[in-house]
Amino acid sequence: MSCKTVLYDKHTALGGRLVDFHGWVLPVQYEGILAEHRHCRAAACLFDTCHMGQILICTSCPEAISLVLTQDAPGLQVGKAAYGFLLNEAGGIIDDTVLMRLGEKEFLLVVNAGTAEGDYRWVGEHLKSAAEIVNRSAEGWAKIDLQGPQAARILSPLTNVDLTQLGYFRVTTAKVCGKDCILSRTGYTGELGYEMFAPGDAIVEMFDAILSDRQARPAGLGARDSLRLEMCYPLHGQDIDPGTNPIEAGLGFFLKSQHDHIGSQAVRRIAAAGPGRRLVGFACETRRRCSTGDRIMHQGRQVGTVTSGAFSPSLEVSIGMGYVSADLAGPGQDLEIATDRAFIPAKLVEKPIYKQGTCRTKQLL
Amino acid sequence: MAPEHLKYTNQHEWVKVDGNVATVGITDHAQHALGDVTFVEMPKSGRQVAKGDEACAIESCKAAAGIYAPAGGTILEANQALQDDPSLVNTDCYGAGWVYKLKLSDPGELAGLMDAAQYEKFLAEQE
Repeated sequence: MSCKTVLYDKHTALGGRLVDFHGWVLPVQYEGILAEHRHCRAAACLFDTCHMGQILICTSCPEAISLVLTQDAPGLQVGKAAYGFLLNEAGGIIDDTVLMRLGEKEFLLVVNAGTAEGDYRWVGEHLKSAAEIVNRSAEGWAKIDLQGPQAARILSPLTNVDLTQLGYFRVTTAKVCGKDCILSRTGYTGELGYEMFAPGDAIVEMFDAILSDRQARPAGLGARDSLRLEMCYPLHGQDIDPGTNPIEAGLGFFLKSQHDHIGSQAVRRIAAAGPGRRLVGFACETRRRCSTGDRIMHQGRQVGTVTSGAFSPSLEVSIGMGYVSADLAGPGQDLEIATDRAFIPAKLVEKPIYKQGTCRTKQLL
Repeated sequence: MAPEHLKYTNQHEWVKVDGNVATVGITDHAQHALGDVTFVEMPKSGRQVAKGDEACAIESCKAAAGIYAPAGGTILEANQALQDDPSLVNTDCYGAGWVYKLKLSDPGELAGLMDAAQYEKFLAEQE
């Protein structure tokens, strides 16, 4: 049984093609994946991200949070956000998350849809009495993402926040359309953009107000996937999962915590030994698609497996990510992708695959 | 509506017959279901195919599918315009988005194809 988000009626009215995604009914596209992808890179798109889990953690002991998350919670300043992981003892990735510090004692943990329930339990079990934990998604909180170089220009007239003062990976309480919300400059597309967290009725109002700007168009999961893949942002359950670790996924940069956390010994050990395989990004020589599970070949021998594949509208070729033997994982390496229909020549590229993303821009308006 | 002058397969290909040459493409229903077409494999001229063989593949942002031969024969040519602009299959599936031409060994093999009205009925039954 799939859940409808608060924006369900909007999606049907806008002609969205609906699919099930981890138990949520969400649009895979409206006018088309390619057009939505290109519009997000050129102007701005609005995404329903109500399926993502919102876990509020209130504690006077941020050190406790750092036991279950790789983020440095005590060192995170109020108004900043940090990417990191929930790891198991073996260093495997239970989930990838963004931790936002809303106040001295208040943290918002944003997690993936398919793992939200498990994350909530995991955090609860490990923090026990050290924190009060609220599953905000279960209380009707919703979320939308406005992403694209025009995002600040579109959002500015609707909010009381001076967006020029809200840098990349910063978060603040705000009013949007006169409604209280949490506003962060974060996203999953590589473009300048914002995520808005608020109760469902407020999100519906914001959705309408943003789309009344002609430069803003709704976009679905299809464009969200090709946008994030061009940036080599991993998708949990596909590129990373409890059987993979941040070191081999090339995400060791995000293991900054000085604190010991669940899995920290394991990832230190893996980092010291060097991983046997690495998550790489590749660009194919043709438009021909490759997809999850396709074999990555070198001189007739399988050396890896594709975890994500898509057509890249920005590069006009097919692209992907996958795990490859560490000795063949350097940029420039020529490989072949074996699909059930064809052998596709491909070359490993420096991440991200798309390099013109505006997410860090200082020229907002 | 499916154009009256074409024949249709239950794999959602359309076939235009001109003497012993058949032009093959995919229907509006098929292109809509596939979504944005990103790649069309070009079948090689001169290749022999039997009725029901996969002549080539078509891919979209969401899926890959085969395009099958409606009858046996020899591939005459593929629509080279689709190599640079596969979106023609979406924007003009019955015209500029045609996929390949086939020289028929036995035009009688096309006898089982549907006409436009039958294909529309077939689509309605699949809903």
